[in-house]
Amino acid sequence: MRRVVIDPVTRIEGHAKVTLYLDDAGEVADARFHVTEFRGFEKFCEGRPFWEMPGITARICGICPVSHLLASAKAGDQILGVAPPPAAEKLRRLMNLAQIVQSHALSFFHLSSPDLLLGFDVPAARRNLFGVAEAYPELARAGIRLRQFGQEVIAQLGGRRIHPSWAVPGGVRAPLSAEGRDAIRAGLPEQLEAITRTIARFKADEARFADEVASFGTFPSLFLSLVGEDGTWEHYGGALRLVDARGEVVEAAIDPARYAEYIAETAEPWSYLKFPYYRPAGPVDGMYRVGPLARLNVCRRFGTPLADAELAELKTRGEGAVLGSFHYHYARLVEILGCLELIERLLDDPDLLSTTCRASAGVNRLEGVGVSEAPRGTLFHHYEVDENGLLTAVDLLIATGQNNLAMNRTVAQVARRYVRGGRLDDGVLNRVEAGIRAYDPCLSCSTHAIGKMPLVVELVAADGTAIDEARR
Amino acid sequence: MTADRRPRFATVWLGGCSGCHMSFLDLDERLLELAARADVVYSPIADAKEFPEDVDVTLVEGAVANADHLEAIRKVRANTRVLLAFGDCAVTGNVTALRNLVPLDQVLATAGYPELEAPVPKLLPRVLPVHKVVAVDAFLPGCPPSADQIWAAVTALLDGRPVPPGARFG
Amino acid sequence: MTLPTPTLTLTIDGELHSARPGATLLEAIREAGVALPTLCELPGLSSVGACRLCLVEVAGRPRPIAACVAAAEEGMEVRTDTEKLRLFRRTTVELLLAERNHVCAVCVMNGHCELQDLAAAHGVDHVEVEYLSPPDLRVDASHPRFAIDHNRCVLCTRCVRACAEVEGAHTWDVAGRGGASRVVTDMALPWGESITCTSCGKCVQACPTGALFEKGATVAEMVKHRERLRFLTAARQEGRWLLELEQPPSSRAERGASTTAGVGGRRDARDSSSPGLPGMAGPTKGSP
Repeated sequence: MRRVVIDPVTRIEGHAKVTLYLDDAGEVADARFHVTEFRGFEKFCEGRPFWEMPGITARICGICPVSHLLASAKAGDQILGVAPPPAAEKLRRLMNLAQIVQSHALSFFHLSSPDLLLGFDVPAARRNLFGVAEAYPELARAGIRLRQFGQEVIAQLGGRRIHPSWAVPGGVRAPLSAEGRDAIRAGLPEQLEAITRTIARFKADEARFADEVASFGTFPSLFLSLVGEDGTWEHYGGALRLVDARGEVVEAAIDPARYAEYIAETAEPWSYLKFPYYRPAGPVDGMYRVGPLARLNVCRRFGTPLADAELAELKTRGEGAVLGSFHYHYARLVEILGCLELIERLLDDPDLLSTTCRASAGVNRLEGVGVSEAPRGTLFHHYEVDENGLLTAVDLLIATGQNNLAMNRTVAQVARRYVRGGRLDDGVLNRVEAGIRAYDPCLSCSTHAIGKMPLVVELVAADGTAIDEARR
Repeated sequence: MTADRRPRFATVWLGGCSGCHMSFLDLDERLLELAARADVVYSPIADAKEFPEDVDVTLVEGAVANADHLEAIRKVRANTRVLLAFGDCAVTGNVTALRNLVPLDQVLATAGYPELEAPVPKLLPRVLPVHKVVAVDAFLPGCPPSADQIWAAVTALLDGRPVPPGARFG
Repeated sequence: MTLPTPTLTLTIDGELHSARPGATLLEAIREAGVALPTLCELPGLSSVGACRLCLVEVAGRPRPIAACVAAAEEGMEVRTDTEKLRLFRRTTVELLLAERNHVCAVCVMNGHCELQDLAAAHGVDHVEVEYLSPPDLRVDASHPRFAIDHNRCVLCTRCVRACAEVEGAHTWDVAGRGGASRVVTDMALPWGESITCTSCGKCVQACPTGALFEKGATVAEMVKHRERLRFLTAARQEGRWLLELEQPPSSRAERGASTTAGVGGRRDARDSSSPGLPGMAGPTKGSP
């Protein structure tokens, strides 16, 4: 039995390694995706006042601090026992839409486009954003500016691009000015045009990836996301819904406060990231995916014209639900388009400029669960506080972690497809990593799992007597 | 920098949130300017797997929190002329170091892991800022430092000048 | 024609300056237009010379002296900005940052904190001395309106003096010795159980860091108005009411009212309006 290690997995957020186990014939017997970072937020936040948690949990992640700001603020809303004013919800939504744009742009252009535009097999030294910029300068520039647009909307609302101190329990700290709204509006046409061109180009190129489409995580699974009651795409509110591999509803509206009844987890000794699964179906059949592909599988429509057209086309890549994880890339582009359309619509709402944007109260409940859709999937912030507002317990279940079972299975699938007879060239190993990149994992976010004693599950056994080890 | 070749530039992230790297990417189109004047020889957003030799300037984000970080930062230091610790985690420990206030076994117990094994790196008993592990040539605090501050620091270091003052913790 | 009041003459950084008799050396230096760093000093309160940031060199003295508790004397030759003093100031700030757990990024006073300002002003861009990381410092949020995070306290004792000298209640004092010192309320009761506290909030406004804060203030949200302490003492002692705010005032007096943006344009969320005037009537957060 031979071990091949990919260390580190590059062009993802966070720290991870992959181990491939090859049998004597050079075929892949097993593969593992190891997440190698952990900071311990659930513990060291105990004793902090809950109103500081948006700012503290923002530091879970520098790509999606807005996700944590919002989920944390929503948990805080519940502890205060208030309904934020309408303008506050709209402003929070605006920031979330902008962060989805910037985060998806990062994922596509800065992280995955080297594979998708240059090719999985080009030499590693070129396989990065700068290589893309050399080959396709206008496209690289457009991608940078698309991310920049999202970041600037965040800064317009919250005062800075990363870790803005803005969403708070009860609402938001500052409203949007008319000048700010106009500045955002002025930036939209360029970005709508850029994403439309990118989608067209991506679809034109798609035939080149038939192999990857067929091997990057093409198994059935459940899918979880927020969605409007009527099936319209959601990112902030709505119902928490689970659908199966045919798109049929399994759970129409999970009460977020009872998430722990529906989601359990296992752990392995070889990863800091645990393995959430849908509890009623068990740790094997209960595998579910979250994020852009899940959101588009769960929803029936986006609710905006251009995105709806693309969504209809995306859905043709599956029957009831699209199963191949390669299509996360397409899903991300569709979501960028839809979010830009939604931003445009939201800017026309006169409520958006209201200065009544923060409700205040004291501690009225001793527990709160905030749920929202991060770019990478559903996340939950669960706080318990004492009557003075100091945290006694914190549970965080964050997007990417819920894709862990699927990511591990994808790594095994990709490895089995491409590693044949021990052939392990750079392009092959890059494809294994690309199987992970399709999920756009955020690993700094992810290693914050529910703190209950898990079962340890034996995966398909690799012969434990590893004698030789090959390191890439 | 040696006068006869382009400067070799690298970025590394340790125990943090990647926010400093995101602020680095907030250089926006200045990233392309950077790539025009320096070779980006190692970065989490590029595919080099081994930290190379003979690097002129390396930006380090994040605190030293586990055994992998320790090994990585020593290799970075051994192969870098000018090491910039950027962001509060690298400079002070910051949020990552908040676990220093709780016994390590309690931190892990809350997470409920089984007995962990390789390749999962062991957590260090204390999270450390970078300069407590290796010599650091320049510091740029901030959580994160702004893109403008990063640009001013990087261009200064590539020119052989010190980092301009003025960045604040937080 | 009135005779001029007798003044002292002293040399500050090589230049002759006059000072009022009875002035402290710090006052004389300030009147000469020289800014000295301070932390435990606050106009309106007595001075205690605790923080050692205002050390100056005086010719003929073997060691630097704290200007806030030294009398200006005729013929003194004072140096306020030497290489050695700059090193002392940086070291003092580093020691303050190393003694307890200061995480500026997630602190309620981020952007408005005097310790943070001192670090920036004196080129402290990292801390060389070992972090003590004391693990047993907690947040006491038992008071209905205010809270204290001991992790952020620098033991300047401005809260002690504000409460004792301006409000008169003397709720705060210092317990313990050396590194184990803590500011405490009453006889080290939880603040919410204090029987002397009048909830005036002067201590909160006097506190230079995020140690004392208003409950519900989020990261980077607290802005303090320490100049109100001097406003009150001048009012009492001199019968004049002149207030110059260092930070923009709150546009709504009640705590918990909607924040206002100011006029248009991009807002730096760090410049939040003040959470309200201490001691003024207004709805408090929730019910005790």
